[in-house]
Amino acid sequence: MTAKISLRNVTKQFTVRATKSTAATTLTAIDSLSLDVRDGEFLTLVGPSGSGKTTLLDLLAGLSTPTSGEVLVDNKPVTGPGKDRAVVFQQYALFPWRTASANVSIGLEGTGADGRRLNRRERAAKAKEYLALVGLAGFEDRYPHELSGGMKQRVAIARSLAYEPDVLLMDEPFAALDAQTREQLQDELLRIWRATGKTIVFITHGIDEAVYLGERVAVLSARPGRLKEIVDINIPDRDGEEDIRSHPAFVEHRHGVWTLLHDEVRRAQDAGHRKILPDGSAPDEPSTAPKDGTVTSERTAA
Amino acid sequence: MSTTLTQTETAAATRKASVRTEPGNAVGPSGTAAAPAPEANAQRSTPVLAAARRVTAAAGSGVWKSAGILAFLALWEFGPTYLASPSTKVFLPPLHDVLLAWGKLFEAGTIQGHIAASLTRSITGFGAALVAGVLLGLLIAWYGRLNAVLNPLLELFRNTAALALLPVFTLLLGIGEESKISIVAYAAFFPVLLNTIAGVKTVDPLLIRAARSLGLNSFRLFQKVILPSAVPTIFTGIRMAGTASILVLIAAEMVGAKAGLGYLIVNAQSSFLIPDMYAGILTVSLLGLGVNFLLVALERHFSRWRTAVGAAAS
Repeated sequence: MTAKISLRNVTKQFTVRATKSTAATTLTAIDSLSLDVRDGEFLTLVGPSGSGKTTLLDLLAGLSTPTSGEVLVDNKPVTGPGKDRAVVFQQYALFPWRTASANVSIGLEGTGADGRRLNRRERAAKAKEYLALVGLAGFEDRYPHELSGGMKQRVAIARSLAYEPDVLLMDEPFAALDAQTREQLQDELLRIWRATGKTIVFITHGIDEAVYLGERVAVLSARPGRLKEIVDINIPDRDGEEDIRSHPAFVEHRHGVWTLLHDEVRRAQDAGHRKILPDGSAPDEPSTAPKDGTVTSERTAA
Repeated sequence: MSTTLTQTETAAATRKASVRTEPGNAVGPSGTAAAPAPEANAQRSTPVLAAARRVTAAAGSGVWKSAGILAFLALWEFGPTYLASPSTKVFLPPLHDVLLAWGKLFEAGTIQGHIAASLTRSITGFGAALVAGVLLGLLIAWYGRLNAVLNPLLELFRNTAALALLPVFTLLLGIGEESKISIVAYAAFFPVLLNTIAGVKTVDPLLIRAARSLGLNSFRLFQKVILPSAVPTIFTGIRMAGTASILVLIAAEMVGAKAGLGYLIVNAQSSFLIPDMYAGILTVSLLGLGVNFLLVALERHFSRWRTAVGAAAS
């Protein structure tokens, strides 16, 4: 198997802005992380909050650049966002002034990979096709505010699939949905993945979700984010009609990932880690508090 | 809607339905509800009652809405005759005198001339302010450095009342059309400019991230994400500018002009044609209402993608 995506010793640091009580400090979100994602693989990524999951996804998407190390897609370094990768965000990020159809076709409005520009009718046809793929046939002319959360996320998935990227990067896409809609969309995503053969990197904080969806589950450590372990998920009969979640193998894998994650979650909590915002600021981060010593000492030990 | 009406009998549901129904098409659902299925005989009274209640509610809301206006007009008509002293009646003529005066002005074609003069000035000034305000606003919001340089200056100008500068405009541009159009443009410029800046700056960062991940370059990002997202806020500014342009224009016309509604009002007052003066004032308020109505309709058209709840712009 060839590696579709390779991360080589990737480190990402942010400068935390100085506040009244603290001086400006450097915050390491990801620390020399190396990871290969195979072509056509469904990889899920779990980690405690503040372990740099979203930072990692931004690096893969080309929305930010690593402080050191390399991010390779198809053995070529990532220099910015590209049509070979698509991102699905937790908060859908649909353009509210565009209908479902126009949202899906926004990625088609420039020149395509073959240097050709699709006309309006071709774009609409393609949008229709992809909306049908995510189960939203007939909703082409709805505005996002007329759709439920689950439907919005379906539109967002259709939008990212429409310009036919090889890689789908998903940042906790189902976290804001209710449990039933989430399970439904998980199954739909697996169906789409099998039908299209995309490489999917799926970030989640749900262990069940990670084990259910992923062929492999990558577990990240508490900040600074490092690859703690990659768990291969082997559940027989995955494509069948059975309730996989009650299969002994699923339960066993779930427990395995839970154990790996448990210590990290505790450590993240003790250190008071919060989410790093896209601009690099970490509000409420006790950067100079004595508790932070656990993180720095761990960093030097590693 | 008719199916939901026959299916649900709860008070909440009927109330919801009555809210959704515009007064104009209130007949449709009530017509279907009046012919219920046989097994619904026992519940027939409920939809009929609901329909009756809905009609009453529609009529009632209309009555309540116009009650204030009607009471005011009645006070204007009868107040001067029965409540005020005879000397006051001269300065505050009853409504029908004013309407008669307006009719005479209309027949003579004078009021049309004044309206045309005022509208030409305010539309020219407003148009200039619109183009300049939106363009400069987009530039300032897009280039942070420009904003840093211009912001204190803009704050200073914005907080200088436009009418305080009227003598300056008159001195520099004379008492002709230029000075009046310029002061209208000045007054309308700042609401447009500031709302354009605010609209561009408050674009959801997530949408920008999403657009960048879709591979849009800076120009496309601006054209396809930032501009459409800012349109509702810009329109709020345009609506404010519309109101401001009429307000300032009337005042400017009162100071030095040979035509226009402001001139009509002041001239009528000094010529002691008191009903004519009120006819002018009435025209100004109707014109203001009309302009605001038009701009609100335009604003709604351009931001219809917004949810009804989040429609209130900053």
